[in-house]
Amino acid sequence: MKRIIATLVVALFAVAMAQGVTIGVLSPLTGGAAGTGQAQKAGFELALAEINAAGGVLGQPLEIVIEDTKADAATGVAAFEKLMTEDGVEFIAGGYSSGVTLALVESFRTFQPVVSWIGGAVSGVGIDGFDGIEELLGAEPWFFHVHPWDYQNTEASTAFMASTGVKSVALLHEDSAFGGPGAIAAAGLLQDAGMSVPLVEAFKSTLTGGTGDFRATIAKAAASGADALFWIGYDSDVVPLTSQIRELKYDPQYIFGAPPGWPSEFDAAPEAQCVTGLIGYLPNLPNAEAKTFLDAYVAMHGKAPDNYMAALAYAQLWSYADAINAAGTTDQDAVIAALQNGTFRSPMGEWSFKPSVIALHQGFGSEMWNVFQFQDGVREIVWPLARATAPLASCR
Amino acid sequence: MDLSLLPQAIVSGVLASGLYALVSVGLALAIGVIGIVNFAHGEFFMVGAFLAYQLFVGFGFDPLLSLLFVAPALAVIGALIYLSSIRFVLRAPELNQMLLTFGIGIILQNLALLIWGGDPRTIANVPYRSLGFQVGGVSIGAVPLGSFVISLVLVAGLYWMLASTPLGRAMRAVAQNRIGAGLVGLEVDRVYLVAFALSALLAGLGGVMIGVIQSPTPTVGLGFTLKAFAIVVLAGLGNIRGILGAALTVALAESLVATLVPNGDALRNMVFFAIIFVVLVWRSRRVA
Amino acid sequence: MRGLTRDLVVTAALAVLLVFLPAVLREVFGRASVSYLSLATNALVLAVLALSWDMLARTGQLSLAHAAFTGAGAYTVAVLFKLTGAPLWLGIPLGGLAAAVLALGLGSVTLRLFGIYFAIATLAFTEVLKAAVQRLPTAVAGGAAGINVPALFRPTFVAGSMERWEVAFLRNQGYFWVYAGLLVVAVVISVVIQRSRLRAAFTAVRTNEQVAGVMGVNPARMKLLAFVLSSFVAGLLGAVEAHRLGSVSPDGAFSVHTTVLALVTPIFGGLYTTLGPILGATVLAGIEETLKRTFSEGYLIGYGIVLVASILFMPRGLVGLGSKLFKRGGASASGTTGERA
Repeated sequence: MKRIIATLVVALFAVAMAQGVTIGVLSPLTGGAAGTGQAQKAGFELALAEINAAGGVLGQPLEIVIEDTKADAATGVAAFEKLMTEDGVEFIAGGYSSGVTLALVESFRTFQPVVSWIGGAVSGVGIDGFDGIEELLGAEPWFFHVHPWDYQNTEASTAFMASTGVKSVALLHEDSAFGGPGAIAAAGLLQDAGMSVPLVEAFKSTLTGGTGDFRATIAKAAASGADALFWIGYDSDVVPLTSQIRELKYDPQYIFGAPPGWPSEFDAAPEAQCVTGLIGYLPNLPNAEAKTFLDAYVAMHGKAPDNYMAALAYAQLWSYADAINAAGTTDQDAVIAALQNGTFRSPMGEWSFKPSVIALHQGFGSEMWNVFQFQDGVREIVWPLARATAPLASCR
Repeated sequence: MDLSLLPQAIVSGVLASGLYALVSVGLALAIGVIGIVNFAHGEFFMVGAFLAYQLFVGFGFDPLLSLLFVAPALAVIGALIYLSSIRFVLRAPELNQMLLTFGIGIILQNLALLIWGGDPRTIANVPYRSLGFQVGGVSIGAVPLGSFVISLVLVAGLYWMLASTPLGRAMRAVAQNRIGAGLVGLEVDRVYLVAFALSALLAGLGGVMIGVIQSPTPTVGLGFTLKAFAIVVLAGLGNIRGILGAALTVALAESLVATLVPNGDALRNMVFFAIIFVVLVWRSRRVA
Repeated sequence: MRGLTRDLVVTAALAVLLVFLPAVLREVFGRASVSYLSLATNALVLAVLALSWDMLARTGQLSLAHAAFTGAGAYTVAVLFKLTGAPLWLGIPLGGLAAAVLALGLGSVTLRLFGIYFAIATLAFTEVLKAAVQRLPTAVAGGAAGINVPALFRPTFVAGSMERWEVAFLRNQGYFWVYAGLLVVAVVISVVIQRSRLRAAFTAVRTNEQVAGVMGVNPARMKLLAFVLSSFVAGLLGAVEAHRLGSVSPDGAFSVHTTVLALVTPIFGGLYTTLGPILGATVLAGIEETLKRTFSEGYLIGYGIVLVASILFMPRGLVGLGSKLFKRGGASASGTTGERA
């Protein structure tokens, strides 16, 4: 009897060994942020298939366990603890929502796994009396942050605005944690760059209880006489905002927006014409992987990615696989060193983790951002000039 | 404060009341006539929006054409939901109805997530979505104007139906006296079935409009649902005509505050719900 | 009063059970007890929320303002620590008090509202409060970004003598005990109501205010009493949640989702009882987690189906079903159970 048990234990142990590396993923698969979570999931699935087709990690197939956070703080903490104590993972990926991330700070500190975190862009830098994600976690050696911080987004946006040569900008922003603090910083940067900002106006996003009637706000922007319109809001605000700008015959030189993503099929809408936007990934970026990622994604999921979070998730999982393979072990310090020293490929081009204002390991910075313009249904890159596929056109 | 925007604010506000009335009228029927507090009403909007989207993507249908298909589809969905569940809780406390319809809402929302995913979608080609007419320095949008006219017609039609048709009279009878009307049990069941299907149908029409204005997502109905509940209650249960006045009051107030107050758009919901709260409280004290 | 004594003994037994539950989980599941304890804590949160809502519902006041009370508790704690260096545990009772004061104000103006009119008025109140809090000066209430809140428990890791999961266990055990304490407070208030003349008074107010008046019950006072007791518990809950979740923000603290869960859970478990909301919370939380672990996609569809089926087949909730089965079982010892209720 003892022998049988001993054999069984050895067999089980062997199976456990053969299973190789498991990475735990936290993502909002349901609820209001499901669009982002599902995009991340699609990116992870593609990366996982490719990694395993290329030989896996440390000679074994890589595995991922995806847990739904519902973008709810308490659910997120329980899901993280399940990954740590039931699934026994040592590496965490995914990540979205500042509320969930703030709730996870204490748990992250307790377990101290390697955490590579995409979202939670609220750095806290520049907000008095509030500690954001970068301030709370950035100095931890095991914390790696993939998506640019809020101030890096703002830097890119204002640099683009300055490059257009406009004299004045009307700034519209949604009023929650996403658009509120960023808008004040953006107004300051625009003024530093020599532009006047005659209007900074908050609106209620359709994602936070608004009903998509932006006419009053747009009328104010028109009355401000600004050359360009810069708005910070969510994906679901794109259609009402752009159509009502036309309806009210508001005619700025540029309509520039920085939502987290753009609605599917908006490209084909007439309202899209001449609209410009900040985006991380586009298939026509000047690197080989931008196109191969698109083809592989379409082959697997049947359509192009709607949300650049898919590309970020894809890049994140590949960076883990490359780093663990480079380290040759799952030893935490070795993997941290490999993540820290490695240069990784991605659909956004080559990237690596480097220090930001506070964080030791910040992945993409303001250089990730591109500005595209819808020109006859095509997203042409218009900024930065080095990557431009077409010149920026005025809406007038 | 920039008073030059005042005329536009008034016109925008009046026109916006059309959409508010449109999304409220079906709910008024459900609450006022059947006495069902339908927490899944917002999901009917969502289904209407997605069906219009699907008809556009699949067949290139304009949303106005889709109305002809979405309306009966929602009526069928409403009827099926009624027959499979609502029917059994008609006499139950309204809290039971809330739990039931909340469950139905969760099912619909997550089915939509499975079918269409979480990304916002676009009905890409709506030629009149960005159309506006300039009249004396004021812009009149084609979509708000259309919603306004459609909602007027629907409210008038529903009012006429309740007042002047046998079916409508039956609806009012059961709304006023369930036990008395219950003497002819089978009939009552049929009246409720028709009323609930009609309520879903009206929600479907509102949903198509929402799908035109916004991006269909599994949670697209939420912003309108709370407001529709509030408008129905502000109008008074069973008062179909009152919907127009209630919608006009809140829409106009929202538009004025959004235009005249700095960062006023962000105050829209505060203004809306403050009016609802004050009016309900004031009315309850006046009656006593 | 014998009934009350019995209920308090049962409550004491429940308290003892909850005190030892973390240790038992740890013995049985080892490191996995950390995550089970978190799930159990989430169920406790739901139970306190549901029981607090039920107390108010006993007077017929169908509140959609529960997020306002938990939010008030949460923001009281957050603002307190942002502006002053108050002792760590002081914010929790103050959060309960703030919510109670708020409820007294809301309750006294909504006394003459009934049914759905009352429900919508309280919902509107919550939405106005949310927007108003967001509009307060950033230096006070943090604006849209919100406010950080310090953790109640921060056990230290001693390398060599313990494992990391044991630190997490200690923290989760601490929070579990605090929420268990809240539940006991809520249960004691609830059974005292149920075993005193208040129960008849509340029921009379709920079923017919005029008759209640004739019986010598003052409906206004009963309604306000229920409002204050209910919101006090909700405020305590919100305050502890702010500590556990590390921050408050307007959209998170005043979420409609909180309000809806507060109402759904007691209906599922059984209205106007002490046991119903607790049972409802435990079973609903258990079902959701089980579905989540079983189906990778669309698990919430199953959750919705459970809710629909529950109201169709057990219109009086879990408690109603239980008492029905129990009575039937008593009548015929070997009788068939599981018949459609």
